[in-house]
Amino acid sequence: MSEPVVHITNLTLKYRHKPVLQDLNWTIKRNENWLLCGASGSGKTSLAKAIAGLTHSYGNIEICFNPNNSSPALAYYVANWFQFKDLEGQSNFYYQQRYNKQAVETTATVKAELESFGGKHALEIKELDRILAALGFSALVNSTLIQLSSGEHKKLQLVKAIWLKPQLLILDLPYNGLDVASRQNLNLLLDEISATGSQLILISNDTELPACLDHFAVIESGKLIEIEADERSSYEIDLISDRVPAFINDFAIPKTDTEIIKMVDVNISYGDKQVLKNINWEVKSGEKWVLQGHNGSGKSTLLSLICGDHPQAYANNFYLFGNKRGSGESIWEIKARIGLISPELHWYFDPSATVAQSIISGFYDSSGLFCDPGYTKKAQADELIHYFGLTAYQNTLMNELPLGKQRLALLARTIVKNPELLILDEPCQGLDQQQTRHFNQLVDELCSHGTTLIYVGHFESQLPACIENRILLENGAVKTVENIFSIT
Amino acid sequence: MSNYFNTLPLREQLNQLGVCDFMDSSEFLDGVNALKGKKLVIVGCGAQGLNQGLNLRDSGLNVSYALRKEAIEGKRDSWKNATENNFTVGTYEELIPTADVVINLTPDKQHTAVVNAVMPLMQQGATLSYSHGFNIVEEGTQIRKDLTVIMVAPKCPGSEVRAEYVRGFGVPTLIAVHPENDPQGKGLAQAKAYCVGTGGHKAGVLKSSFVAEVKSDLMGEQTILCGLLQTGSILSFDKMVEKGIDAGYASKLVQYGVEVITEALKHGGVTGMMDRLSNPAKIKAFEISEELKDIMRPLFQKHQDDIMSGEFSRIMMEDWANGDKNLLAWRAETGETAFEKTPAADVKINEQEYFDNYTLMVAFVRAGVELAFETMVQAGIKPESAYYESLHETPLIANTIARKKLFEMNRVISDTAEYGCYLFDQACKPLLADFMTRVDTDLVGKNFNEGKDNGVDNRKLIAVNEALRTHQVETIGATLRKAMTAMKTIKTA
Ligand SMILES: NC(=O)c1ccc[n+]([C@@H]2O[C@H](COP(=O)([O-])OP(=O)(O)OC[C@H]3O[C@@H](n4cnc5c(N)ncnc54)[C@H](OP(=O)(O)O)[C@@H]3O)[C@@H](O)[C@H]2O)c1
Repeated sequence: MSEPVVHITNLTLKYRHKPVLQDLNWTIKRNENWLLCGASGSGKTSLAKAIAGLTHSYGNIEICFNPNNSSPALAYYVANWFQFKDLEGQSNFYYQQRYNKQAVETTATVKAELESFGGKHALEIKELDRILAALGFSALVNSTLIQLSSGEHKKLQLVKAIWLKPQLLILDLPYNGLDVASRQNLNLLLDEISATGSQLILISNDTELPACLDHFAVIESGKLIEIEADERSSYEIDLISDRVPAFINDFAIPKTDTEIIKMVDVNISYGDKQVLKNINWEVKSGEKWVLQGHNGSGKSTLLSLICGDHPQAYANNFYLFGNKRGSGESIWEIKARIGLISPELHWYFDPSATVAQSIISGFYDSSGLFCDPGYTKKAQADELIHYFGLTAYQNTLMNELPLGKQRLALLARTIVKNPELLILDEPCQGLDQQQTRHFNQLVDELCSHGTTLIYVGHFESQLPACIENRILLENGAVKTVENIFSIT
Repeated sequence: MSNYFNTLPLREQLNQLGVCDFMDSSEFLDGVNALKGKKLVIVGCGAQGLNQGLNLRDSGLNVSYALRKEAIEGKRDSWKNATENNFTVGTYEELIPTADVVINLTPDKQHTAVVNAVMPLMQQGATLSYSHGFNIVEEGTQIRKDLTVIMVAPKCPGSEVRAEYVRGFGVPTLIAVHPENDPQGKGLAQAKAYCVGTGGHKAGVLKSSFVAEVKSDLMGEQTILCGLLQTGSILSFDKMVEKGIDAGYASKLVQYGVEVITEALKHGGVTGMMDRLSNPAKIKAFEISEELKDIMRPLFQKHQDDIMSGEFSRIMMEDWANGDKNLLAWRAETGETAFEKTPAADVKINEQEYFDNYTLMVAFVRAGVELAFETMVQAGIKPESAYYESLHETPLIANTIARKKLFEMNRVISDTAEYGCYLFDQACKPLLADFMTRVDTDLVGKNFNEGKDNGVDNRKLIAVNEALRTHQVETIGATLRKAMTAMKTIKTA
């Protein structure tokens, strides 16, 4: 029998004064690779951070690295969320700052960032190219950090981790925001490093996983339970109630003949880098679209134009809700008709707002709440708080909640005003599969009342049923626009 | 040209100094309408120019930029800022003659030259806008009588103006109409619409006057904001080194300490900042800040007097005419201080440690904020204005020190503030020499609580808390901060 590598006894851990893990025991032996799943808020992230020594816990965590292994003797944690710093070591960036030309040069380039990481850990530069290529990152090495999209930031972290090849690699929701090809390549890379000296702990509720995983566990009531591979789905916990909030059925959105979106030869470039090329696209009232494309294909730039967040909108020929963009409308008039969720919106959201305030802020399209909303709006928000199972957390600050719960609150924020146009850019990041299914049902329900939908999702199996059209981007250009029937 | 303020009779001086009306949100119900469809031309595309312009355009207004020829031909940053964000850019001749509103966002020192170049090109009845009143008040520039002159002054750096707008909020803003230039009576409506366009109306708007804005802005930046932060930082660093504290640690404590300490000030005022200390440390900080207030009061008063009389601008403009001789010499001197030259060590300092090991700075900040506020109010400036120009802006300046020490602070602030800062610093250091001989490492460099028991006298603590909490900067601050952060109650009709 091989010796234990990680030996955890009676681990007890509190997250913001609430007990999360209680006398947890876990032994990981040499060459084992584990999948860790469980409902959002069950303590997966806390446990991972405790093993990596990033958070305080009670009990005992012993890690025995192998002195004969040439890989670094490290327990390296790749967070589900990421943060980067500017050249002065600060990280107070703001929403959509990356589209502000003036602000771009204050952060390091990807190349400089990787070189400094490699230098710190004495890594071979020649190993890097292959990893960059596998994750589709090669073209981005000269970009500055602030220009990267959330999916690209995620990849940068994965590139570093795989390059480092630590003896113990802990990955927290690594697939969030990754396109299909990158997910597959990531799995191959993980198989490869696990065969040459790295052991994995992978936190994920996804189904496409690296082949090397051979142990499965779930956290329930603060304890770790080892399970069989096929037992996983039954451990998901349902947090979203089934009854759709009443107000959603109360308002039908009038169908109009004008196009909600009409783009004519839209181009966006930064210097000589063109990120959107001659985009032509029409979305009619009530249509349900999925927007797809590889990481970096231009999806988030396209959406930022629609949401009034991109300064170059003013130089392009396009129409929103029948009005030419830049004809005297304010971005707040545009935002008032859109319900938006995106990884960036989440990332830059006011962390010191409570759950209830965050949801109500959807009425005002602000990040955080700055005014008294009055009774009706509060009541509407209450219904959603209940629907999303957030009643117990409504007065909790966002930054005191795990990612999955924050996400539920922001989803509620997105739909609270029952908007004409829903833009859901990877809405279910950080949710488990059951929650995703429920949310998509809610989207179907909403959309049956005339809402127009643009949905971005990298997982084909996790799209709402109502979707009928697809637009596919490739390297900034429209590859295909097509009708699709019945995704089941 | 002569100092505008000095040409006024006393009654009118007091009148203008006392303009201060915290505007109700119901005053902004007309949105941007007063500027809708009008042609707004911004002169200069720097920190304020670019970010205000982005906001105004996103609020549905027509914005373009007039830059000087050299900037366009040389494709300077200002030209890049504007063109890469898809704004129309042109020369003065191309854009000014058709402008309804010309917004002057060039550096204050250039205002006379810019206004002289721009004014003859402006159409009859147009509006000229500023974000700071120095040119009108201190230089006494006379504007053509058919033109309306307004001011919209965000009380934050340009990047903050943008960041707060995109999150659906804004930054506190002062607006004013110059009483000598409001021939059509449209100035206030336009200033309000402008303020809605930048998002300022969501964070609190103070109706002020050019005079009140300038006299309070100068006072704040010279004394508490830049002057005292500079003096306090240098003295603290030197003291630690003298007492054998590791220089790298001292450098880090001073560089980041002001930011951490004033972050507490931002959220909870002087009270919130002092509450971060243990009870014994709080009492000590209170006592030494009382002493500091006594020592520095005459200096604060002198600065206020010189600002009021125009003496400050006179000597500064003399220095402008002299090729910035003093300014450049002082700037070089600041660059040579030991604090500036010692890199921060790579040591971890916890958030609380910045308070416990840097109690001296807490005392400096309390003394400076209260003194600046008191001195302004005594000089006839209203408490709301005094609050914005003292307590409100301190954390914003502290942030620049955290970025790259005093050099960065002095680079980011205006030349006017920088000049005033050095003046203050030159005079303040000798004043504090004796006080500093009595300061030991328990106040700066080591944990104040180390080796002490945590006991205090009840009555003493109560008296200290009482004195802190009832100070006018705290009572007015509580009201204004409420408008700034959250839950402003909207009056329903
Ligand atoms: N910074 C703040 O925190 C702040 C806050 C509130 C109010 N303000 C006020 O806002 C105004 C602008 O300040 P700022 O900090 O934004 O200035 P800034 O960043 O230094 O920008 C100044 C702009 O003016 C242009 N410029 C410089 N000299 C010029 C000249 N002689 N003629 C024409 N254009 C010239 C510059 O472009 P080129 O050199 O390329 O031509 C640059 O684009 C000032 O009145 C200031 O008091 C500033």
